[in-house]
Amino acid sequence: MSNIVVFGAGNILLSDEGFGVHFAKYFEDKYSLPENVSIFDAGTLGIMAMHIIEEADYLYIVDVISVKGNPGDIFIYDKEDIMLNRIPTKMSPHQIGVQEVMLLSDIRGKLPKVVKLFGIIPESFEPGTSLSKNLEEKLPKLADMILSEIKSISY
Amino acid sequence: MARKITIDPITRIEGHLRIDVEVNDGKVTNAWSSAQMWRGIEVILKGKDPRDAWAFAQRFCGVCTTVHAIASIRSVENALKVEVPLNAQYIRNILIAQHSVQDHIVHFYHLSALDWVDIVSALQADCKKAAYLAQSFSDWPGNSQQEFEAVKAKLNAFVQNGRLGIFASGYWGHKAMRLSPELNLILATHYLKALDYQRKAAQAVAILGGKNPHIQNLCVGGVATAVNVDNLATLNMERLLYLKSLMKETAEFVEKVYFPDLAILADHYRDWFKYGNGVDNYLAVPEFPIDTKNENFELAGGVFYGGNIKPFRIIKDHKDEYLINSITESIAHSWYVGEDKLHPWDGVTEPNYTDFQAEGKYSWSKAPRFNEKPMEVGPVAQLFAIYASDNEEAKQIINDSLLRIGIKINDLQSTMGRLVARGIRAKIMSKLSLKFVDKLIDNLAKGDSEYANHTNIPEGEFRGVGFHEAPRGTLSHWIIIEDKKIKNYQAVVPSTWNASPRDEKGLLGPYEASLLDNPVHDPEKPLEVLRTIHSFDPCIACAVHTIDPEGKEIVRVRVL
Repeated sequence: MSNIVVFGAGNILLSDEGFGVHFAKYFEDKYSLPENVSIFDAGTLGIMAMHIIEEADYLYIVDVISVKGNPGDIFIYDKEDIMLNRIPTKMSPHQIGVQEVMLLSDIRGKLPKVVKLFGIIPESFEPGTSLSKNLEEKLPKLADMILSEIKSISY
Repeated sequence: MARKITIDPITRIEGHLRIDVEVNDGKVTNAWSSAQMWRGIEVILKGKDPRDAWAFAQRFCGVCTTVHAIASIRSVENALKVEVPLNAQYIRNILIAQHSVQDHIVHFYHLSALDWVDIVSALQADCKKAAYLAQSFSDWPGNSQQEFEAVKAKLNAFVQNGRLGIFASGYWGHKAMRLSPELNLILATHYLKALDYQRKAAQAVAILGGKNPHIQNLCVGGVATAVNVDNLATLNMERLLYLKSLMKETAEFVEKVYFPDLAILADHYRDWFKYGNGVDNYLAVPEFPIDTKNENFELAGGVFYGGNIKPFRIIKDHKDEYLINSITESIAHSWYVGEDKLHPWDGVTEPNYTDFQAEGKYSWSKAPRFNEKPMEVGPVAQLFAIYASDNEEAKQIINDSLLRIGIKINDLQSTMGRLVARGIRAKIMSKLSLKFVDKLIDNLAKGDSEYANHTNIPEGEFRGVGFHEAPRGTLSHWIIIEDKKIKNYQAVVPSTWNASPRDEKGLLGPYEASLLDNPVHDPEKPLEVLRTIHSFDPCIACAVHTIDPEGKEIVRVRVL
C-alpha cells in the first residue's frame, strides 16, 4: 500500500505563516483517514524533516508562497516544477528549504513518486497564533483539493 | 578602495539575517549584523497559562524546538520552586543530548561544509584513491570505492543535466577552496550519508518525546512520558534498548565519520584558526541536572573575559545570583522603543521599525550583555567551562580531540575553532546520551517510577528563569507569573547573544567582531564572510520561511 504524506509547514506564531501547520491540524481533526495517510506537522523544519519526505510515495506539501496574486490564492506545483527550477528558490547561498531538500532526496535516489506543493498567498505575518479570516476560509477548499488528490490514487 | 558588501539573507536554515561588511584592501574593516525579522513571542505569551508556555515557545524556531520547550518549562519550575523527579531529569537529559547530536551533524555537513568543500571539484576525483585516503582516516565500513563511485556518478548526472539544485548556489572554483578532488568527494559522500544519521537521532528524540519535531511529553514538574518497563504501551525495556541502539549508531558516525572529516578541514585550512575570534568573552551555563533540586549538574558553566580560558567565574547551578543579575539587554541599536538597557524580567518588547541605519538602529535583535560586556555563547564557551571544571571524563574527550587535530584549547577562539568545538561537543553529547539511558534504566530498576510532580499554579506573583545550554549556546527564558497568568515573558536566545548589534556604548556583537580582519578575495563572492558567520551556526529565532518563487538577489556590492 502506498504511503501518503500530507506535510504542513510553517510557523504558527506569525499568523498566516503557519498556514501549513493549521491546515495539518484541520485536516486531521476533520477527517478520518485510512492508515496509509499520515499528516505531518513539520513546523519550520527543513532538512531535519527529510526522512519524512523520503518515506512517502505520495507527498503533498502545504505552505505559504510569495508570488504575484491575492492573499488566499492557491497555486499547485508539481514535482517537475520544483525539480526543473521553475520555482527558483535561491534564498541564500546554500539555503536549505523544501525544494533543496527534495533535490537532495533525488540525488539520494529516495524522492517520492508524486510530489505536489499547494502554495497559498498569505495576508498577514503579524505575531499571533491564528490565521487571518481570509486564509482560514480557505482551509475547507484546500482540504477538498487534497482529498480528491488522495482519492485519485489507485493502489 | 573601500567596498560595502551586503549579504541578505545569510542564514542557511531559519530566519533572516543580514550582514554588512566594509572591505578595504581585501580585508574586513567594519561589520554590522542585522536580524531582519520581528519575533513577537513575548507579545503572544502575555496573558496565557504558564503551563502552556513551553508548547508555544517551542514554535519559536524550526530547528531548536526542543531547546525552547526545555528552557520554558524550567522557567516555570524555577518560579514555583518545583522539584523534578530523577526519571524526568534523565529523560529530559537524553532528549537534550540527542537533539544536540542531531543538530551538530546537520550543522557541520549541511549548513557549513559547503563553505569548505567544492562539490564540482569532486567530479575530478579518482575513486580508488579516495577510498584509500578515507580508509586511512577511519575504519568506518561505508568508505568503499564502490560507494564513492556511486556518489560521483550521481553527482555527475546532476551536473550534466544542469540540475545541481542545492549545490547550484555554491561558490565553486573559488580561490579559497583548497581540498583535493578526492577529499571533496569523500566529504560530499558523507554529506549525503549524514542525512541518515541525523534521522536516527531524530528517531531517538521521538521515542522519548512522543513526537519530533515539537516534543509532546513535557509538563511542569516533570515529563508526561508513561514509564513502565514491563508494559508494552509505555516506555518499556524494548523501547529503551532500541533507543540505545540508535544512539550507538549515531555515536559511531560522530566518531568515525564526522570527526575525521573535521580533522581534514582543520588540516587543510589551518589559517582559519587565526581568523574569526570575536568578542573574546564567553558565557556557558551548567547543563544536565542530576538531582531533583537542580543543584548538581553534569557539565559546569562559566564566565570568561578577554580571551582568557582561566575562568573569571565557574557557574555551578542555575540559581547563581551573579549569573541571574548580570544579564541585560540593550536596544540602543535595535528597532524597539523604551529604555536603553533592561534586565530581562523588566524587558519590554515594543517594536518601532526604522530603516537600516548603520549609525543608528539596524536590527530586530536586542543586544544582550553580561556585566555590560558582549559575550559569545556556544560550544567554545561550553568546552572552556568543562575544561576548567572537574569533569575528568569530558575533559579527556576534549584533550584527546585537540591532540588529534593538533591544536591547543586557545585555538578554539576562531572560525575553524568553532567548527572543531562543535565536533568535540557532539562526541561528548553522544557519550552523555548513552550514560543517561543507563542511569534511567538503573533508576527504574531500583523501583523509582516517579516521573512528574504535578503542579498547580498558585495565586500571587512569581518570577523565574529557565537556563539551558543549547547546541547554539546559552539560552534563557524569563517569566513573571501573576494570578496564574503570564505577566511578562522574555527569551534571551543564543543567536541574539551572538548576532547582537552594537550596544549603547557602541560595543560590537560577536558576529560583528569576528568578521574584522577576515580576508575577502572576491567581493562578489564573499565566501570568507559566510565561513565565519556560519561557524556560529546562525539561526535567527524567528523562523519565517516563506517559499519565494520569484528569487532574490543575495549579495550586493557597493564601491564607497
